[in-house]
Amino acid sequence: MTRTRQTPTRRTLLKGGAALGAATILPTPFINHAWAQDVSYDGGVFDAEGATLNVGEWGGGWEEFVRQALTDDFEKDFNCTVNWDSSFPWFPKFVTQGAQNPVFDICNWNLPNLTQTKQAGDFFLTVEEIRENVPNADNCWDFAFASGAGVTWAYMPYVYAYRTDTEGGPVDNFRAFWEPRFSNKRGAYGTENGLMHAFFMATAKEFGEDQYDMQAAFQALEDAMPMKISEFTFNMLSLIERGEVDIAVHIEGEALSLKRKGVPMDVWLWDSRPILTQTKTISRYSDPVQKKLAFALLNRTLSPEFLNAFGDEFLWRPTNSEAKITDQLAEEGVENTADAVEAFWVPDWDFFVENKLEITDRLNQIFGL
Amino acid sequence: MTEAATTQAPPRLGRLGLQQSHFKWLLVVPLIIFFVIFFVIPVGLIFATSFNPPAIGQVSVTAEFTLENYLRFFSRSNYLMAAGRSVLLGVVVAAVTLVVAYPMAFVIANTEHPGRNTALLILVLAAMQLDMVIRLYGMMVILGDNGLINQMLMGLGLIGPEDPVQLMYNFLGVVLGLVQFSLPFMILTLMGVIRGIDPSLEEAARSLGASRRRAFFRVTLPMSMPGILSGSLLVFALSISSYIVPALMGGFRVGVLPIHIFQQVAEGARFQFGATIAAILFLLSAGAVAIYLKVGTRRSGGLT
Amino acid sequence: MERRISLPMLILAIAGFAYMLFPIFVVVLAGLTAGEFLTFPPEGLSLRWIAAFLQSEKYLSAFFFSFRLALMTMVVATVLGTAAALFLSRTRMVGRNAMRAFFLSPVVLPGVVIGYSLFAFFIATNMGISRTIWGLWIGHILYSTPYVIGTVGAALAAYDVSLEEAARSLGASPWRAFRKVTLPNIGQGIQAGSIFAFIVSFGQFEVSLFLSAPNSEPLPIAMYNSLRYKFDPSAAAAGIFAITLVTASVLLTNRLVNIRRLLERQQD
Repeated sequence: MTRTRQTPTRRTLLKGGAALGAATILPTPFINHAWAQDVSYDGGVFDAEGATLNVGEWGGGWEEFVRQALTDDFEKDFNCTVNWDSSFPWFPKFVTQGAQNPVFDICNWNLPNLTQTKQAGDFFLTVEEIRENVPNADNCWDFAFASGAGVTWAYMPYVYAYRTDTEGGPVDNFRAFWEPRFSNKRGAYGTENGLMHAFFMATAKEFGEDQYDMQAAFQALEDAMPMKISEFTFNMLSLIERGEVDIAVHIEGEALSLKRKGVPMDVWLWDSRPILTQTKTISRYSDPVQKKLAFALLNRTLSPEFLNAFGDEFLWRPTNSEAKITDQLAEEGVENTADAVEAFWVPDWDFFVENKLEITDRLNQIFGL
Repeated sequence: MTEAATTQAPPRLGRLGLQQSHFKWLLVVPLIIFFVIFFVIPVGLIFATSFNPPAIGQVSVTAEFTLENYLRFFSRSNYLMAAGRSVLLGVVVAAVTLVVAYPMAFVIANTEHPGRNTALLILVLAAMQLDMVIRLYGMMVILGDNGLINQMLMGLGLIGPEDPVQLMYNFLGVVLGLVQFSLPFMILTLMGVIRGIDPSLEEAARSLGASRRRAFFRVTLPMSMPGILSGSLLVFALSISSYIVPALMGGFRVGVLPIHIFQQVAEGARFQFGATIAAILFLLSAGAVAIYLKVGTRRSGGLT
Repeated sequence: MERRISLPMLILAIAGFAYMLFPIFVVVLAGLTAGEFLTFPPEGLSLRWIAAFLQSEKYLSAFFFSFRLALMTMVVATVLGTAAALFLSRTRMVGRNAMRAFFLSPVVLPGVVIGYSLFAFFIATNMGISRTIWGLWIGHILYSTPYVIGTVGAALAAYDVSLEEAARSLGASPWRAFRKVTLPNIGQGIQAGSIFAFIVSFGQFEVSLFLSAPNSEPLPIAMYNSLRYKFDPSAAAAGIFAITLVTASVLLTNRLVNIRRLLERQQD
């Protein structure tokens, strides 16, 4: 790989926009920036006088729940309207509209995509700027701030989901995935799936010197072929359920939900303890009222009341130390204490994004795409 | 034969016909305008970025010209293979769908009983109502390693329990999935055409001593040509541009161009290269369609 | 005059129907499960997931949004596409095949390319329709019209233009000749084309990805989003609901058509 990576600055983006749109993108002035710094929020309720807050977050059943548990009341309390958009992916939308004209005031992300966007321009407030204005962030575990551009409010550890009705006994180590008994019965994901990205980094760490040892990961993944590659975690669950796959890269809550259903399977938490995260960012160039509302909404997202309700519904773990682990997870021995969360880490997504092109290319080769 | 009908229009209509030919354009001008504004320009601008140097997050056209993206595409065997596989997939799926759909369309078109006819039509329409992702779940239940077909074969002792027939997670799986998806489209296109064929023509052929089989292959089938051409073009286009079916039925092991485009565009790291692949897919399809129309038109004696 | 269907033809057709419908049957059964998850065979039969779907404000509003969008798309695509197909069948212009191929070309591009191109275009030109139902509508029309042109074109090609010309030469106005002679003959093609336009729009995921508007997501996007986070049979339930709706509407249209025929006959 000899390509030089060009991280576009705001200026090249604007220049490009001008070339395409005959300067029509330019009118949004830089003035915003001056006021943007002035907004502050202290955790109280205020009257937004009917303002509209643009939110980017997952849809479907997720939206239905979050609206009922969070934003419906939020709209009433703050006298505002939430404009909800769930048509992922966000990254091309942010980049196309430009940092000055943010698509969303507050947006929920998977970290690889968030990092990609963060590296492409001055889109988001920094962790420090958010922490000053979001009181509930003070109670969060350290890894909630690992992205540098937002606050992680929920997470799930990565696991292997494996069938227990096959020979060879339970899975108890990371390299079990490579055992011959799982040949063509191993489940992993396509190159654009965040779980695959994390699996790649964890594999580098296991087989190489550290998470940055890409060559070791490529070799290990090549050795793991033939695998069954899926695109969604949901689809992977049905592959496990149907016995098409005997071991799969997965995340705790979803995999456990399949186990509770009575499928002969179990989960094994990767001993290196990487996590999949849900992280919310606030856009730097949003208008002041929207920005203040975004602080308030993030603060409520991080409140124990919402996190508890959310955990009960979707089995995610909260990052707030004051929040509870839902009963279903607690039965499996999950706790929300400093000791219990100490080992969790977030892969270095900046490194991953910088090398994404090469990684995608090599994975394509390995999969035979 | 319609060609002939137009050329032999009664001379009496000549003057009127000229006026009509200007009037005629009104039929197509709205769509041309719509296509130019919302298709040619937007897609053209995106294609233009394929001549820009790759830059992550850069979305719009710049003045820097380069062939780097095209060189990259043509210097990698996996992209070339994917291009070949895409075209092959389109051709195979169109052919298989045609062969499977024709008898179905023929039966529906010739079922006179109104109740039965409606029932068959409902079945065809029902087959189109399921979301793709969930429909592919149904395919997996049937075709998977532990699917119903393999279980049946194992139960009959035809194959060993550890030795399932690979009906999906490969090229075959993608073809099977796309054929299932395309069947209703082909049937509905063929149905109208077959119904329009005058049965007395076939009767005439038979009364002249042709066997039923011969009458079908010499009369009915050639007369269905417009539907065959049109339907197979649609199915070809559907197959060559499909992302979700190759992704799920091919288990991410069957590389086709839409998967590569999705990788580059939807996640958006590299619009320039994504645009390059899209442009190549577009040119390949255009080429295939052009050849097909040329051959097909000659065979059927004029498509229009 | 009825053509007899030969036995080999019938057998092939039955096999074809089995192939087309078996996966649908599997999903419908799985969606009628009494259990928590999508499984086959289902764990007992119940209508709980259908009921859940009908009670979900989110899914229902997405369903009706998609329905409305598909209707809007169908109307425009059918009118534009039928007109263009008529032109293509009547012209002897050089390059009419090229034009036909041109109108077909949106379909050969993956939907995500069309969707993204339009999204970037709307923003660059500041048209104010990016991420609104209008922008989404434009994308869907673009992607649906080729199907109408294809099917109507096929019907027109099979139909003998001299019939209309005969009517004209007998003194019928062009419009009357078209309405009384051509239209009934290509009606099946137009009907099939409009059904395609509706269904392509209703099931459209990739084109909508970049164009869909806040607060009103089309059903396939709602489904996909939901399947990412919850492994439940509501997507199958939505399909069952759609199948029921289609069946009802076909039966209803047939009934209406029959009544109209009856009335016409009485007038004669």
